[in-house]
Amino acid sequence: MALVRINVGPVHPSTHGVLRLVVDVDGDTVKNVECHIGFLHRGVEKLCETRMYMQNPSYMEKLDYIAPLSWDEMYVSAVEQAMGAEVKQDAQYARMILLEFQRIASHLLWLGTLANDLGQMFTAFMWAFRDRAKVIKLLEDVAGSRMFYVNVRIGGLYMPLPKDFKERSYALVDYLEGALREYPEVLDDNEVFMERTRGVGALSREDAINYGVSGPVLRASGVAEDVRKSQPYYAYGKVNFELPVMRKGDSFDRYRVRYEEMLQSLSIIRQTLALLPDESDVVGQPIKLIGQQAKPDTVITRRELPRGEGIVYMIPEKQRPYRISLRSPTFINLAVLQKLCEDVKFADVFAIMGSLDLVLGEIDR
Amino acid sequence: MSDETPPHRAGPSNAAVPGAPYTVEQFMNAEKEMTKLLGQSQKNYKVTVNAMFAKMSEISKSMPLARDTVRWARMNSLWPLQFGLACCAIELMDFGASRIDAERKGYLLFRGTPRQCDVMIVAGWVTKSMVPRVKRLYLQMSEPRYVIAFGECATAGGPWWESYNIMQGIDQVLPVDVYVCGCPPKPENLFEGLMKLQGKVGGKVAGSTERSVSENLQRHESEGV
Repeated sequence: MALVRINVGPVHPSTHGVLRLVVDVDGDTVKNVECHIGFLHRGVEKLCETRMYMQNPSYMEKLDYIAPLSWDEMYVSAVEQAMGAEVKQDAQYARMILLEFQRIASHLLWLGTLANDLGQMFTAFMWAFRDRAKVIKLLEDVAGSRMFYVNVRIGGLYMPLPKDFKERSYALVDYLEGALREYPEVLDDNEVFMERTRGVGALSREDAINYGVSGPVLRASGVAEDVRKSQPYYAYGKVNFELPVMRKGDSFDRYRVRYEEMLQSLSIIRQTLALLPDESDVVGQPIKLIGQQAKPDTVITRRELPRGEGIVYMIPEKQRPYRISLRSPTFINLAVLQKLCEDVKFADVFAIMGSLDLVLGEIDR
Repeated sequence: MSDETPPHRAGPSNAAVPGAPYTVEQFMNAEKEMTKLLGQSQKNYKVTVNAMFAKMSEISKSMPLARDTVRWARMNSLWPLQFGLACCAIELMDFGASRIDAERKGYLLFRGTPRQCDVMIVAGWVTKSMVPRVKRLYLQMSEPRYVIAFGECATAGGPWWESYNIMQGIDQVLPVDVYVCGCPPKPENLFEGLMKLQGKVGGKVAGSTERSVSENLQRHESEGV
């Protein structure tokens, strides 16, 4: 049969933003998928060169608007490295707790939207947003704003933690442990969900390594790689947690990896909360017009973001970065879409794309 | 405890709701009223081609009561377009999700196709390559159509003001009815914005026919966007 070329997007309800796909189909079988990106490009790396160091976290947060705090923290730690600033011990624990909460919020949103994409399973969407709202509320009370926190300062955080932070965190962890148990009831036992994820979009171990994917996509394909384990920062070396690793690398495995990761994050939060003293001192340096000077030397920071491994590569000047280059994990994870979509049904393109957890703001930069 | 009946338990009364363009009687018999009005107006209206396709707008121009009825109907069934660009789209999702649940107020039936929608909520920054697409979506919506600029980026470019690839506000391309401020605005702010739009559609706001368009509307064309 003749190939038919179908245009999807850039405005499409299932592409989670403005990704444009050009799909060649033979009947209902996909032969080739081309991704067209750049509809959200606004030149973050260039804009960062014209700003002082601590003006940039606001830009960094808008890269990945589902997990803003993780980019914020990664950039600020690069600045700390450039200035040779020490992070307070309590602030390290507090940052770890907030980052893991952010990871849970990000995965919950992903889970809800994936279930929504796979045939209007609105229950899981509503549950995920119900639980995410509770996490977001805690982060809001710590930082003062709801979505873009801009909470991390050199050497610590912006404000002291709320007085009841530990109690509330323990209560939230208890709540989430109960709430997360409910999801398999509507997803793992759901025939639609299983049919559309199990065996769909399988990524082999070799391909995963060759394409350079990272994060849950890589671990679902059987590679136990995580920056928190291989190059521990903060107190990740002190806490015990496992890396959930799956074998097959299909959409269902990616779901399982992220689900298990949420449980592991809860375990990390529990252990870190035990390390955090009641009277904590977490406040970092305030933002000044002319701040501390950086030493001109190349700086590289690696972090395990919710979507994979992120890298900030920075050449600092005294008061502002001379050049910044970012490795965004979803940009590299997107490259694998063409490989995964060979000879699948047309409807599965969106199931696969949803399971990769794409954020277009981070891809286009 | 007072002996007064709470207002929501009181039966239908003939007193008009203060400020409403219709009486309670008309409200209760809305269907009958509409049929009557349409019948009357079809008699008055000189039908040229086909009575089936008599335009609502032309009927409403001829009769004040029909105009108010049409406005009332439009005001209470705003259907937004499911159209997210960037960060603000996450708050848009939260707007429809369990905490706010906008559906209880009648705003929310996010549709995937522009042809079924009245309101376009521009949530996020609009890049130059996105402008023709946004314009096309707007033109595909059926009239009357309304635009809400949601967030700083859609209002004025936001933090990307200096960027080389950004429209500094969607009002350079489309006429905007309501601006919602914030980066990103809370879902509650969108609620307020939609209520303002409701007032505007229902004719309850002074100057409700005005829509703000920036002065250099053609700028994007001269720049070859």
